[in-house]
Amino acid sequence: MLKMRDIAKIYRTDLIETHALRHFSLEVGTGQFVAVSGPSGSGKTTFLNIAGLLETFDSGTYELDGRDVSRLGDDARSRIRNEKIGFIFQSFNLIPDLDIYDNVDVPLRYRRMKTPERRKRIESALELVGLASRMKHLPSQLSGGQQQRVAIARAIAGDPPLILADEPTGNLDSLMARQVMDLLEKINDMGTTVVLVTHDPELARRAQRNIHIVDGSVLDSPAYQRRAPHPTPQADAAAE
Amino acid sequence: MRIDILPLLCALRRNPTGAVLVVLQIAITLAVLVNAAWIVNQRIAQIEQPTGLDTPDTFGMIVGAASSEFNVQQAEAEDLAYLRSLPGVAAAAMTGGIPLTSQGAMGATLWPRPGRGGEAEGTNFLNASGNLLQTLDVPLIAGRDFRPDEIRTPVPGKGAQPPAEIILTQALAQALFPGENALGRAVYTADSYPLTVVGITRNFMDAVGVSGGPLYHAALIPFAPGQRSYYALLVRAQPGRRDAVLRAARQHIGASHPDGVIASLETFSSAKRAFDADNRNMAVLLAVVTALLVIVCCLGIFGLATFNVGTRTRQIGIRRAVGARRRDVVTHFLVENAIILAAGTLLGSLLGLAVGDWLSARYGLPRLDLAYLVGGIAGLWVVGQLAAWQPARKAATVPPSVATRTV
Amino acid sequence: MIGYYVRLALKSFRRTPGLTALMACAIACGIAACIVTLTVYHTLSGNPIWWKNGVLYAVTMDSWDPKSPYDPAQPGLAPDQLTYQDATYLFDSDIPRHKALLTLIGGALSGAPGQSIPAIAFTDATTAGFFHMFDVPFEYGGPWSAAADRGPDPVIVLSRNENDELFGGADSVGRSILWNDQRFRIVGVLDHWRPEPKFYSLSGGGTGDFGGTTDAFVPFRWDVTQRHWPAGTFGCWGSSPTNTYRELLGSECVWVTLWVELPTAGQRRRFLDFMNAYWAHQRANGRFQRPRNNHLWKVSQWLKMHHVVSDDSRLLLRLAFAFLAVCLINTVGILLAKFLRGAPVSGIRRALGASRRQLFEQHLVEVALLSLGGSSLGVALGALGLQGVHAMYAGSEAGYGAAAHFDVQGILWALALAALSTLVAGVYPAWRIGRVSPAAYLKSQ
Repeated sequence: MLKMRDIAKIYRTDLIETHALRHFSLEVGTGQFVAVSGPSGSGKTTFLNIAGLLETFDSGTYELDGRDVSRLGDDARSRIRNEKIGFIFQSFNLIPDLDIYDNVDVPLRYRRMKTPERRKRIESALELVGLASRMKHLPSQLSGGQQQRVAIARAIAGDPPLILADEPTGNLDSLMARQVMDLLEKINDMGTTVVLVTHDPELARRAQRNIHIVDGSVLDSPAYQRRAPHPTPQADAAAE
Repeated sequence: MRIDILPLLCALRRNPTGAVLVVLQIAITLAVLVNAAWIVNQRIAQIEQPTGLDTPDTFGMIVGAASSEFNVQQAEAEDLAYLRSLPGVAAAAMTGGIPLTSQGAMGATLWPRPGRGGEAEGTNFLNASGNLLQTLDVPLIAGRDFRPDEIRTPVPGKGAQPPAEIILTQALAQALFPGENALGRAVYTADSYPLTVVGITRNFMDAVGVSGGPLYHAALIPFAPGQRSYYALLVRAQPGRRDAVLRAARQHIGASHPDGVIASLETFSSAKRAFDADNRNMAVLLAVVTALLVIVCCLGIFGLATFNVGTRTRQIGIRRAVGARRRDVVTHFLVENAIILAAGTLLGSLLGLAVGDWLSARYGLPRLDLAYLVGGIAGLWVVGQLAAWQPARKAATVPPSVATRTV
Repeated sequence: MIGYYVRLALKSFRRTPGLTALMACAIACGIAACIVTLTVYHTLSGNPIWWKNGVLYAVTMDSWDPKSPYDPAQPGLAPDQLTYQDATYLFDSDIPRHKALLTLIGGALSGAPGQSIPAIAFTDATTAGFFHMFDVPFEYGGPWSAAADRGPDPVIVLSRNENDELFGGADSVGRSILWNDQRFRIVGVLDHWRPEPKFYSLSGGGTGDFGGTTDAFVPFRWDVTQRHWPAGTFGCWGSSPTNTYRELLGSECVWVTLWVELPTAGQRRRFLDFMNAYWAHQRANGRFQRPRNNHLWKVSQWLKMHHVVSDDSRLLLRLAFAFLAVCLINTVGILLAKFLRGAPVSGIRRALGASRRQLFEQHLVEVALLSLGGSSLGVALGALGLQGVHAMYAGSEAGYGAAAHFDVQGILWALALAALSTLVAGVYPAWRIGRVSPAAYLKSQ
């Protein structure tokens, strides 16, 4: 699903050069549930932004779902992001003055889907996360956990093959956090690849594979076994 | 209380678009404000210029032929006699047009020396047939009025002997003979025909709305034009009696000539008002549009200040958390606004002076008085800072706890 | 998609109602100011016969005093009227398709049924070609014939107003009326015709450019045989006496206007050659001692030369554009601020797959709606402003009151100008928000 080879990302200002990622290589197979962890400043966020085509990189190659997306224009990247990737953020990032239905609707709009099909997808996504009854409510009327579940519904409504989650439980208490993680596992069971960025080792343990980033590069890490109904190929993590 | 200007300037440099837009608005507004105020001031001065005539009490009437049977000389003699005997009339005279209007206006060019020698002066003139100066209530400063034998009347079929005398206003006399006494001198027409100056009057306005020369250039010439199908009667009533006299005159004269009609009837007051109308309207329009402009500009300042406060809530919170008082926050934003005002008024001053120069070159206006520039800058500063006052006050209400929040 | 964007735009307006109202008002003010001054300016300087602008020409020749120009302020300009001898000579040329002589005379109409006192009538003495040339509409009857021109016959054409006053608006063709106690036969009555400005004869009979609409028309040659002294502006130079009418006809006094219709460049060239030949001949006989200045004036040039647009209205025009500029800059600034404030939400949309172009489109729709609202408000305000102008100028000599009116066409182009300028102002902010980098806003809210 996700194949990064030798990615480098440098932030340049007038005075200093920051190497956020250096010789970064990673392969995530289809259907895997991968956790990416590391200390702050290690480059986790940069990796996520690049994986999600939110940022460009300076060297290396990136193949997403079989397609080379290294040097694409903004229009193409936006379309791929829209069709292939679902985002979940730590601070939910719901649009405050749209109701729940409209919030889940947003990515589908950019795909120019017809109304009946959109409605079907939105309703089934909200069903999945258990919030179908709150369609007309505003985000401010929901608790933190509920908002995050709406964000998940938004992420899966378009049926993307890849979900990128950035500290999805960072702003939630332990009960809600567990609910969210259950949801992510359920989605993964249905065949979606999930890449989770977190610094919480508890969460990381629930994933199939754990990838550790330090100073912009990947450190290999023992994989923890998890209930895996679908046979998944062992992906090779390129050594440094 | 320290005012940190340098960080403010750096912040502005990083994201200058909003500030630049407001600076542009301020510059244009100042340039317009200063010049508009200047023009309004001049228009008011023009309105307040005295006519030199007895405006409230005088009116004019033009009587014209309704058929070829109309005997102009007889009719005007009859009318004058009637008017002079009408109670409430202080003086009446017959001439060719109505001052303060363009009706019947006659213009000429005069030279101080024969053969078109010297500087030519354009002027309007009235043809005088006795009692004109008294009717106009214009005093003589020097010399005398025309004598009856100097007034030339046309002989039917043969024209008239050309006049030999002229009376000038003081402005015209000074223009033709600067620094000298014009009395007794001769002025010359285009054909070098001489007219002796027998009298100089106080300045008054003759015809307006037609180009004959500068405003107070006027002359009286003692003759009646050749072929005439109309004449003008000027009547000065006793104070307070004008309307009654006008009504009586209109009724009598209108009915007494079977072959003639009153072509027009105009009081000096309404003529002056019409003449002033253009200036007055221009002043009003300028004032209104400029006021609106200043308001729009202040809205822009307000908008920018609000935006800045809104995007910097976190920074404000941090400042407060490390010890800034409410006062300091307000000062911070007012100082930032002051920098923008300074840049805007500087640019606006240059622009305003340039516009002023162009206006005086193009439209012949006098040069912009710098007092207006200073006044304009001061005024804009006051309203500009006032516009940023409310957002700055709102900024001061941001609690320090904002600094610790991450969401 | 547009429907979606419209919905989002409306939500955005509702979220900041004060700011939205502020922007709409600023736009409205700027546009209202522009509309008022543009309409006044356009009506004043507008060419009332613009469809014939390349076809009709006023003829001038400089027969003036060799020692000083006609207008000292504009020494290169010939007098705007011709002497009788020059006008009639040039009129006899058959090069122009139509031609007209024109002079203003004064008279009084009487003898209509029920009329007790004579009515003063501004009368233009002209030739039959005038009505064809200037597309003058008739309600009853028509112009007199060429034979009546030559005759000359005492025929008269009345304006609609005059006919309304004297005959109650009835068809008076064929009836007779007294003009200065001469009997005339009415051959035509004009329909509504009041070109503003009264360009064809700038010697306005008292109120300059705007007063004195013509009340009646009589044949030029008839007027000459009756020896009516011209009542409009006329200027004379030279030492020869002008006491009798005969002397006037032979003098260097200018009091006749000549208009010719020359549709093709070839005709214009031929006519100019004709004028130049005449000029050379006359100069050899001692006239035309000034430098040659034979000119054909298009109506638009004619208007400009006579400064029919007062300096004041041009000044106001410039002021109005400065005002509009400030309002638009204002709008750009506020829109920019508003859109950038919404950058986090735009960042989310980008993350969810909106391309830069889609964000630009979304915000442009918001700008378009704002511009529509502000412009409509501005047009309404402008119409109100024009009423105010109408009231202000109603009594003045310039007569703006009659001139300033707001027709459907005016409303449409005003709306177009308003909407377009606001849209243009909003393009930059809409484009800027599209360039927002999504990553920057996603971490912290």
